[in-house]
Amino acid sequence: MENFEPVIVAFCCHYCAYTAADMAGSQRLTYPANVKIIRVPCSGKVDALHLVKAFEKGADGVYVAGCLEGDCHFKNGNVRAARRVESVRKYLEEIGLEGERLEMVTMSAGMGYRFAQVATEMTEKIRKMGPSPIHLALAGGASEARQAANI
Amino acid sequence: MQKQQQVSDKVLVIGGGMGGIRAALDLAEAEKKVILVDRDYTIGGLMTQLDRTFPTNNCDLCTLSPNLSEGSRQEYIELLTMTTVKGIKGGKGNFTVSMETAPRYINLDKCTACGECYKKFPQCVRFSPGLDHRAPTCMRYPQATPQAFSIDLAKCDDVEGLMKCCPAGAINPDDMGRKFEVTCGSIILSPGGSLFDPSHLDYLGFGQQPDVVTSLQYERILSASGPTMGQLVRPSNGQQPKKVAWIQCIGSRGLQKGAGAYCSSACCMFALKEAIVTKERFHDDIETTIFYMDMRTMGKDYERYFLRAKNEFGVRFVRSRPHSILREEGAENLTITYSCDDKSANITEEFDMVVLSTGFRISDEVRLLAGKLGIDLNSSSFPVTDPFNPVATSVPGIYVAGVAQAPKDIPETMVQASAAACMAAADVAVPVKAEEDREPPPPEFATVGEEARVGVFICDCGENIGGVVDAGALAEFASQLPQVVVSELKGHGCSRQSMREIQESIRDNKLNRVVIGGCSPRTHETKFQETVRAAGLNKYLVEIANIRDQATWVHSNSPQDATAKAKDLIRMAVGSVIRSQPLVDQSLPINKDVLVVGGGVAGMNAALQLADQGHKVYLAEKTDKLGGLAARIHTTIEKGDVQTYVKDLIARTEAHENIQIITRALIVDHSGMPGLFKTGMQTGKQMFYRQIEHGVTVIATGAKPNRPPQYLLGENAAVSTQLDLQALLAEKPEMASAWDNVVMIQCVGSRDDENPNCSRICCQSAIKNALRILALNPEARIFVLYRDMRTFGFHEEYYQKARELGVIFVRYSREQPPRVKAGDGGIEVSFTDPVLGRELIVAADHLCLSTGMVADEDGNSELAMLFKLPRTADGYFLEDHVKLRPIDLPIPGFFVAGTAHSPKLINESVGQALAVAARARTMLASDTINLGARSAKVDKNICAACLICVRSCPFSIPFINAEGYSEIDPAKCHGCGVCVSACPAKAIQLMQFEDDRILAKLEELFERTNA
Amino acid sequence: MITAERKPLEELMEYIKPFKRILLVGCNECVTVCAAGGRKEVGLLASGLHMAVLKSGATIEIREHTLERQCDPEYVEELVPMIDGVEAVMSMACGCGVQEIARRFKNKPVFPAVNTKFMGASERQGVWSERCQGCGDCLLGMTGGICPIARCAKQLMNGPCGGSTGGHCEIGDDTDCAWALIWERLKALGQIERYVEITPAKDWRPGGGSGPRKIIREDLAE
Repeated sequence: MENFEPVIVAFCCHYCAYTAADMAGSQRLTYPANVKIIRVPCSGKVDALHLVKAFEKGADGVYVAGCLEGDCHFKNGNVRAARRVESVRKYLEEIGLEGERLEMVTMSAGMGYRFAQVATEMTEKIRKMGPSPIHLALAGGASEARQAANI
Repeated sequence: MQKQQQVSDKVLVIGGGMGGIRAALDLAEAEKKVILVDRDYTIGGLMTQLDRTFPTNNCDLCTLSPNLSEGSRQEYIELLTMTTVKGIKGGKGNFTVSMETAPRYINLDKCTACGECYKKFPQCVRFSPGLDHRAPTCMRYPQATPQAFSIDLAKCDDVEGLMKCCPAGAINPDDMGRKFEVTCGSIILSPGGSLFDPSHLDYLGFGQQPDVVTSLQYERILSASGPTMGQLVRPSNGQQPKKVAWIQCIGSRGLQKGAGAYCSSACCMFALKEAIVTKERFHDDIETTIFYMDMRTMGKDYERYFLRAKNEFGVRFVRSRPHSILREEGAENLTITYSCDDKSANITEEFDMVVLSTGFRISDEVRLLAGKLGIDLNSSSFPVTDPFNPVATSVPGIYVAGVAQAPKDIPETMVQASAAACMAAADVAVPVKAEEDREPPPPEFATVGEEARVGVFICDCGENIGGVVDAGALAEFASQLPQVVVSELKGHGCSRQSMREIQESIRDNKLNRVVIGGCSPRTHETKFQETVRAAGLNKYLVEIANIRDQATWVHSNSPQDATAKAKDLIRMAVGSVIRSQPLVDQSLPINKDVLVVGGGVAGMNAALQLADQGHKVYLAEKTDKLGGLAARIHTTIEKGDVQTYVKDLIARTEAHENIQIITRALIVDHSGMPGLFKTGMQTGKQMFYRQIEHGVTVIATGAKPNRPPQYLLGENAAVSTQLDLQALLAEKPEMASAWDNVVMIQCVGSRDDENPNCSRICCQSAIKNALRILALNPEARIFVLYRDMRTFGFHEEYYQKARELGVIFVRYSREQPPRVKAGDGGIEVSFTDPVLGRELIVAADHLCLSTGMVADEDGNSELAMLFKLPRTADGYFLEDHVKLRPIDLPIPGFFVAGTAHSPKLINESVGQALAVAARARTMLASDTINLGARSAKVDKNICAACLICVRSCPFSIPFINAEGYSEIDPAKCHGCGVCVSACPAKAIQLMQFEDDRILAKLEELFERTNA
Repeated sequence: MITAERKPLEELMEYIKPFKRILLVGCNECVTVCAAGGRKEVGLLASGLHMAVLKSGATIEIREHTLERQCDPEYVEELVPMIDGVEAVMSMACGCGVQEIARRFKNKPVFPAVNTKFMGASERQGVWSERCQGCGDCLLGMTGGICPIARCAKQLMNGPCGGSTGGHCEIGDDTDCAWALIWERLKALGQIERYVEITPAKDWRPGGGSGPRKIIREDLAE
């Protein structure tokens, strides 16, 4: 897969990360278009199932972006989210995907630059890792996936 | 019939610019009746002519237009355009104002702003702003209010043809205008300022050289709704300029013939913004140079903006006042001649375009109006205001806000407008609520069980979206999506016209779901929810695809990527909205009590205003007494007696029956929601715990005087801060009168790496104290070592006076700061004089450091954590919108006043406190608080009663009910969704964020990838 | 409640290797409460298996269904319309559920997706520990409400062994010594005299030592 452009899903909490994303917009900061945001009221709302489903549907990378520690508008949703991300990473490893394809990040509403930076770094990281084997299997059929899995 | 002595229930707002609109909205939301008059044919004022505003570089229209449509919709506001005030009688509580409305020749009720008249008879249709008088549309800006044209009958030679061309039959050549009288209890004067006209200054070439423009004209050239459709080109030849210069202080600081003696306060930022936007467009393909005297970026975080312009964008700064702008015979370019510190000879340099940063002035019209109102004016024709109440004029019941009060920028105008609304509201009677004054929206039509019929409306938002992607193609793309019945391109979806069209489309096409492809749901969801609701659709059946803030704005460098992403976002929104369901809002009675945190000048003023309006106010002060920092200050630069003022303020606060003062209050916990907060604090010497229930919270915790350990401060008795010095000058003047040499160093602990921002107040403190020393000892030699003198507004006159009286001002650079050592009985200060280019040494009897203010890091971080409030990098509280909502904090129900927001002067703190009271009133006027519909809902048929929701809810709301399943009270649920994601039976759904909608988004996103 | 834990994915992959279409069945009772086999876990496992299969280069279709209670035939009957379309069933219920499915659908292979662990209680969110071994002859009345059979590693009936130190069992510091707990409890109840009473050797037969157990309620049985 040359010129691989990863598809990355970012679950962003309304109060901090989503606002930071808007802030990046109003500051006209650029970041790769690979990142697609799904807005949730709190990062603690992000279901393990949705993280796994994103990969199942072909995401190359996923991250959950919540408020800075201590800043969650619902007390500790971001801490729960971090724990959940940790457990889903283990599950991904069990499935045979790199756990690093999933990340938890935090930022405040004013950190437009951090949003752009995280989006850029995540895209770069996933680009280096290459497409998710699931993405490959869905896109190119079984044979390519087999190659990717070195079978 | 109304009796003469009865207090009127109306406020008259004169001037429909941003300030007037803000004041009118605040009053209307607080359920006061307003008459808003503007002499122009649409409201909006100067701001609607700007391309973008500093420091966010947002386009204004998108943030402004919802405000404007709000303005026209509010049932409490009577809008009178093309109307001028002719005379006034009576006094506070009962003014009678005579007015005259000029003929518009268009029936406002009939005009649909279709534009036929303009197409056929362009010469007859009025249009005013900027440069070439014919912008592509003659509505002044795309969301103009009222959305109707205006005819200049004198310029029309075929009136009959004009009448015939109007499909709505709205043209009425017999319109006579009208003269009438209104009564009102108070008046807010917010006519704005006009701009200095440099035409008579022939050495600047303005009016002769087409490439010499004013900053507002340049703004129009940059503006997407301007004459060149946002193309930056030279007026002389239509080519892109390569080298643009800005010249500051045109018409300000008493420099030119006819210039005001004051500083216009906003032009430095204005020029920086224009230079940055120019650089953003053309990057290395254009050079930008700003010729300035002092860079006056003293607003909140403005210094960082200045640094960004310099360091990130490479804007060049030349400290010089050019003496002329010429064009050689036959030459294409302009030549600027100027001199610099480091060269003795004149320098000449060529530029393609020169922008004159013209300052504000009071127009003759406003001066005449002020005369009619009988208010006193100062020497620059601005109204004289109370030293401790910046909006109170010399006539009781008449208040002034915005540039008409003193030159200022938009956030300060917004603050003053709210402050004026607060004062004006107190002077009028409570209007009797008419029973049938609110027309109920049409009943919602049933959507449950019906197949989804989606309407997609894509905004181009001017250049914001349309400039990067082909918005029409997006609409075409969306029309192909399943279950999409209609897909249309809307210019500005948030304009009244578009909203009406969307509503019509909902009715005509029997739409039961709507997707808007536009800006952020954060800012516009409510607006579009109201739009669809008014068309009979449940308001939760609309979804916004954020294709602007999260696509075109951030991927403008790659239209292809932006387009692909916008398509994804639209498809995701359509997939999601199909699965949306009609929901009902929850509401609860509001608690009308107020908690004010901080008992300084700002806190007390806010408390008093709200207490006067009948609210119970808890005033929590950290220390054991009221007064804050102001209690240590003796006089203002205008010679206002601060001590007496603060004492009186404390006495009034302590005596007020509605105010409960809690000293030694330490806030320890906080919970609840806007309108229903609970805050716990430990109080008194024994630290007793008590909890207060309140509806809104005012943060007025102040800032701390800075005392950085520099220049021997704290080590040598001859070194003080300006704060110490002013106390000494008041308390032990004999000490100061013995001083021969005094040195003051500006920007100590400000504008450095540790504290990059400007402390705003120190330049005027230095001048104030210097003048006081000279009054004690006219022979004293005072040296002020400064980086930029930032005596904004009328402070400039004191700066000029200090120079006249012999105070020596010497500039130093950040790289070469003054050096200080203790000498015999004094301080030896050495510094480099940039004009002489030589090192000088002064043996000073006293060294005074202008140390300014810093945020109270410990206190603020604690409160920010408890209240979940964001802060700026330097620790001040961060407002919701730095331009348009400068005192609302991002958490609804929280407001900020005084130096907790940023460094400011006492009267500015008072203004902000009054403004907070007005903003708080807009919330407290209502009896209930709407909690929205976002709450967790349990499916009792599959709940396994496992208790996981009960245990995981951060607010302990779910419980297992008598029937054996989990129950969540929607009125108490905070809607975070934590229980939803924890439920192992998937028995809980969060309304508005249901699982199937999130999965649909994933599904739609990857459909393209995997196809 | 009966507790369970999902088996490693690798083991489950072996089971389903031969099949292209399987039905994954959850249970809304105990395994939901202990977060091992409810609707949520069914979804997670289905996705995980699907991905693991895709990654191996094959394809599979996994249908999901969660029954109210897998150990009751009427609920299992719900699967009838789905069963023909699949080649095998994987159950996320405890062993009872797995066997009920096997009993109902004679010619469909059925595989357990979880290891059924024990009868336990939840200590706090996310932590379950064993409380009962179903010995068939409850003696909690004698031991202050703490079961030495389920909670003593050696199932001692007359006080702790020599490995009890500081209230902990010798198998690990995170395990309480059941007899230390019993002692504290009896002390609190003022019944320490019970502690010295000798319990005779236990009859283990009601605990299942003599074949599968059965309960018949004459008044209810039809």
